Amino acid sequence: MQKRIKSANSLRSKSEIVLRNTVVASLILFFLVFFYIPIFAAFYGSFHLWNPLKGQFKPIGLKNWQTVLNNSLFWFSMKNTGVFSIVAVAARVIIGLLLASALFSKLVKARSFFRMLYYMPTITPMVAVAFVWKNMYDPQFGLLNQLLGSKINWLFDGRYAMIAILLLTIWKDFGYAVVIFLGGMYSLPMDCFEAAEIDGANARQRFFRITLPLLKPTVIFIVITSFISYFQTYIPVMVLTQGGPGTKTYLASYLIFDQAFSKYNFGYASAMSFILFLIIAILTAVSFKAAGENGQ
Amino acid sequence: MKHLTRRALSLVLALALLLSACGAFAEESTIIGSTIQYDTSKPINNGEDIAVEFWYWTGSDKLFQAVVDEYTAIHPNVKITLVENPWDDYWTKLPLALQGKDGPAIFNVHNSYHENVIGYLAPYDIPVEDLEADFVGVSAHIIDGKVYYTDYGMMTATMYYNKAMWAAAGLTEADIPKTWDEFREVAKKLTIRDENGNLVQAGFSFNGGAQGDVLGMQYQYGQNLFTADNKVSFNNDAIKAVIQRMKDIYEVDGSGDYNFGNNSGDNFGQGMIAMYLGWGFMHGLFQSLWPETEFGSFEIPTPTEEVPYAYHRYNGESTFGVNKNAPADQQAVAQDIIRFFLAKDALQKQFVLANSVFPAKKSLAEDADILGVSSIAVLANHIDRYIWPGPMPSAVENNMKIALEDIFYNGADIETALKNAEETCNMELEGSEFVSVEPQYTYASEAK
Amino acid sequence: MKTMRIKSLVLTFLLLAFSIITILPFLWMLASSFKTNAEISALSQHFLPQNPTWENYENALSKMAFLRYFLNSLSYAFVLSVITIYTSAIAGFVLCKYEFRGRQMVFGMVIATMMVPGVVTIIPRYSMMQYLGWLNQFQALIIPSLFTAFGIFLMRQSCTAVPDEILEAARIDGANEFYIFHRIVIPMLRNTVASMAIFQFLWAWEDYLWPYLMIRSESKQLLSIALNMFSGRYSTDYAGLFAATSIAIIPVVICYLIFQKQFIQGIASSAVKG
Repeated sequence: MQKRIKSANSLRSKSEIVLRNTVVASLILFFLVFFYIPIFAAFYGSFHLWNPLKGQFKPIGLKNWQTVLNNSLFWFSMKNTGVFSIVAVAARVIIGLLLASALFSKLVKARSFFRMLYYMPTITPMVAVAFVWKNMYDPQFGLLNQLLGSKINWLFDGRYAMIAILLLTIWKDFGYAVVIFLGGMYSLPMDCFEAAEIDGANARQRFFRITLPLLKPTVIFIVITSFISYFQTYIPVMVLTQGGPGTKTYLASYLIFDQAFSKYNFGYASAMSFILFLIIAILTAVSFKAAGENGQ
Repeated sequence: MKHLTRRALSLVLALALLLSACGAFAEESTIIGSTIQYDTSKPINNGEDIAVEFWYWTGSDKLFQAVVDEYTAIHPNVKITLVENPWDDYWTKLPLALQGKDGPAIFNVHNSYHENVIGYLAPYDIPVEDLEADFVGVSAHIIDGKVYYTDYGMMTATMYYNKAMWAAAGLTEADIPKTWDEFREVAKKLTIRDENGNLVQAGFSFNGGAQGDVLGMQYQYGQNLFTADNKVSFNNDAIKAVIQRMKDIYEVDGSGDYNFGNNSGDNFGQGMIAMYLGWGFMHGLFQSLWPETEFGSFEIPTPTEEVPYAYHRYNGESTFGVNKNAPADQQAVAQDIIRFFLAKDALQKQFVLANSVFPAKKSLAEDADILGVSSIAVLANHIDRYIWPGPMPSAVENNMKIALEDIFYNGADIETALKNAEETCNMELEGSEFVSVEPQYTYASEAK
Repeated sequence: MKTMRIKSLVLTFLLLAFSIITILPFLWMLASSFKTNAEISALSQHFLPQNPTWENYENALSKMAFLRYFLNSLSYAFVLSVITIYTSAIAGFVLCKYEFRGRQMVFGMVIATMMVPGVVTIIPRYSMMQYLGWLNQFQALIIPSLFTAFGIFLMRQSCTAVPDEILEAARIDGANEFYIFHRIVIPMLRNTVASMAIFQFLWAWEDYLWPYLMIRSESKQLLSIALNMFSGRYSTDYAGLFAATSIAIIPVVICYLIFQKQFIQGIASSAVKG
């Protein structure tokens, strides 16, 4: 914990009170209006047969919740979401750390050029790149099979479809991790590295003994924010597989999006998103706790 | 710009004066249409300027531009803004936009999203009898004595075949199959494999979305898609027979493969496959995307030589909808545009040809240009033997798609997959107000 | 020194190999943007177009008001970034450096919103915008995004690195809190400001669902949404999409390069100070 210097009896200045009150009041107002009230509206709606198009808003008690809990597709897609998120987060952290430390090294020339390249997928709109990859996955004329010399039907073979979605996601997002880790590395105190170098620590020792422990807050930050965003992935599924073959690549968010915006089953979709929300909340709390216990 | 429109306006006014001066001539030339008539000399919105939005989905810009151009040529005081949206997004955005007062006054409708928009539609101000006099299939669209949209054409599936491959396999016109057994023999002849047994050319392919056709071929066995209480029936012998035959074509005959191309429509155009069961719109798509591929069409085969209960399902291509929440003056313009569109045969024909659908307008049933389109011509003899189940909610096709992918790609057995899909689908239909119009089919009494 | 050379070569080679994987889809897209749709989906494939054509670019530019969409996206992303960076910094500062009752609660309330799946809040928000009459208005894009939980989290994290002694010293010198925030804290947060600028700008740049639902008229449309215009009901115009995406990327890359310079400067200065 950061040590607070401000002594208990030091008077708060007027400007501090003004600034504090303005900021806190606007935060509360903003998040109330644009998050908590809508969340409450949606929660309330989850107990209703709610179809905004038909002007339907009929109380039906726990029916939506019961349907969700008994819906095997929902739980299957939750499992998919879990696997998808774990793999995507792990890949993002590992590739990100690896490339960031390579780019951090003074041995490499043209670092900004590489940084630029790695960040390109991140800055291209997802819908557009998803279509590019859909073309690359074609079994007959796709680029991927030509390069690998394989004959895999990436998007229609149950064994590969999720891998295909993961490949696109990892490719699209690793640049973000590289940039954040690099930012974290540059903000580390240089004298630690210099001291370690003088002590004769080799590159690997320096990475595991100094860089990684110091970078821990950044790693936790990436892990948590990535989990949150991967739990909400739906665009790649929408463009690449539409959940197929069968239901093999259904992700929870895709199911929710489909129920909400193509079937307009708002009550049902809200119930599902609340369960998703609860799971994310628990996971986040656990990660924070784990991070806290490790002395962060 | 303003000067121009004003000048055009005064020109039109002068013209109108001139026309009304020579009475008899004007009367003949200003009325379009037979029963539904449109009087081009009648001003709209008292001739005052008005602007309306007209929404449609991507892929038909020229058609809608034609409607706008022809209409505004008659009524220069109306400014129509066309708003284009991609198909999927259209159905997300339109219903939300219709909730408020500032939604589009007029918009394109598709009956698969019937339930999402019907609550926002104003009924046509054209008497139902007039509509029925000019168009077929209106009766299925009457709700409490009113029509909110109807069909300008009926789209269904026909078999497309690649003419060059047909000839190369030594086949002639006489070999065009009537039954599925004959079809399977032809498909075998059209299949080419290399020395390792790898497919080079598939005789037939249904990869990438056969659900629309599986939900149609069961009618050939006299099996309706919906039960009397408006639930779907997937797990029945007719659908099982249809799916088993599809599997056999690939697995027993070897005339195709699940991994040989993922989009049979595109693959047909690319020259990978010899025969493809496609809906009317593919005709135009083939011509524009793959002009080198020469193709013909024949009617979908049937289980026996006898005339079936129905050959397939058809789906209506809908006329436009009027937003009931739009301001009254805009609604009046929208109603007027629709009357104009329905009355004018040339526009009807343009829409019918662009989508290769069978015209719903009776005056176009014998039109030589329309019957010149092979995929329409093959239907002309017995278009009455195609059935419309009503505006099926998209859940029906979606769940059949899942079942088929489970069977074809994930190795699920037919019975289990269909049973699951039927259960899920009926659960999803619970809140729906969908009512099957299968009982209104001319030959409904022949159903099993 | 020799081993350093070899190490340097090996590292560079690895980075290069990874760059190729990264860039290949883009090169393929760029090459394909000069092909016809028939060639893109032809059975025999070549990386380079056999009969290069400018047609797709001409179509893309004539079909959509490309420059207008681009400027719309640019101003949206710019305005949103500037606003959210400022609001995040000030909120992060207050939540980090001020002790007051309920501070943890307010921070928790903000952070918890990061976990809410976006689909939950979209419909009530849509109705809100409709009620306010903000549909198709620029403020419908800006106002609901004035604060971002992510940004506040980021800024609060980096505020912990700002030594309290400096703030205390300034206070003793008679500086008020606004002065302290603007003149002392913000410059010390440069690193985070620069990275947030990049993230915020690019998120806004590829933002899809919300602007899509809000903006209706073509004159206010954003580029990321316009790109989807190439997927028709029955088929996707890949050639057109690739051409449009190729042009859409170039300006973003330039923007990124400009921001990256500041980014590096920010990092450098904070690294020197330790």
